[in-house]
Amino acid sequence: MPDAQDRDDEQLLTALGEAMRARREVPEWFVETGKNAYAWHNIDAELAQLTYDSLGDPLGDSLGYSLGDSLSDRERAAAVRSEAASIRALTFTSAGLSIELEVGEGSLLGQIIPPRAGTIEVHTTAGVASSPVDEIGCFAVTPIPASPFRLRCRTEDGADVLTGWITL
Amino acid sequence: MRDDPTVIALVTRAAGSDPTAWDEIVERYAPLVWSICTRFQLSNHDREDVGQNVWLLLVEQLGKLREPAALPGWLATTTHRECLRVVTSARKSERLGTELDDALQFVDNTMIDEEILMAERNAALRAAFAELPPKCQRLLSMLTSDPPSSYAEISATLQIPVGSIGPQRARCLERLRKSSALAGLGETDVDWAEGDTHA
Repeated sequence: MPDAQDRDDEQLLTALGEAMRARREVPEWFVETGKNAYAWHNIDAELAQLTYDSLGDPLGDSLGYSLGDSLSDRERAAAVRSEAASIRALTFTSAGLSIELEVGEGSLLGQIIPPRAGTIEVHTTAGVASSPVDEIGCFAVTPIPASPFRLRCRTEDGADVLTGWITL
Repeated sequence: MRDDPTVIALVTRAAGSDPTAWDEIVERYAPLVWSICTRFQLSNHDREDVGQNVWLLLVEQLGKLREPAALPGWLATTTHRECLRVVTSARKSERLGTELDDALQFVDNTMIDEEILMAERNAALRAAFAELPPKCQRLLSMLTSDPPSSYAEISATLQIPVGSIGPQRARCLERLRKSSALAGLGETDVDWAEGDTHA
């Protein structure tokens, strides 16, 4: 049945064209973003949750991660800090330490609580940059990352803590 | 189709620290994630955000997926959820006060199922195409380009007589149809005619 065969060929060619078009539509940067995510495979740093954001939005779920803390905790934290008003401040908490962040002009200022020295790494999809953390736990990240990033803090006493993705 | 051995093998290899398997997963299914972002009419910035989160969540889930073969379904639902998150948080900041329930109306389960079927079929077709000899790949590429090349152009570019394009096309499509990559789709699922309605 040559007619049926022709029709099948035509349909297969159309389907193939559709499959190729669907792939062509996807920009390379989008595919690269996906490939780069594998860098996070088997990383055994402890995850620090966002427990406070001065914007007041319950941002814990903003990246699809669920926060362990209750709403009342967040509200209490927000009330305590509301005096600090206009400066954007964030706190990430893990079992062993907290990372406090303030968004300054042109740089991010942070402190590890309880204070101790180490390094802070800024991870973006483009790569990793690291800065020192001084003895009183303070660090600065310049410039402020424009793309989503996460911080990994490694202290001299062996703590290894990773935040969720942050978009400022 | 849900027990496509290729997908199971890729997930297993990626879960055990094989970056090439991960890259292949991303190559196969980035179009699925992208097309869902397109339906939500997201900006490039939001697409990057969604894409990043979807793949990061998958990296975390790799060893825990109970049914690796259901990966396309997992990706489709996770992408929908991430798109909804972006759409609703944008609305919140515009103070439109839109409830999540409103946004959920965008999600139509039939549509998600169709997207998954389409993504699996497209991935299988591209894999089958990649298995073809270079000569067939060149010919079928020209025939499926947008707009499709004319027989005269194909004849000039590939240095073959116009009269033999038809028979070669038929032979290449036959090889495509018989390739092992398409075998995973199973006879009952293959209704190529549907491709027309989506074109």
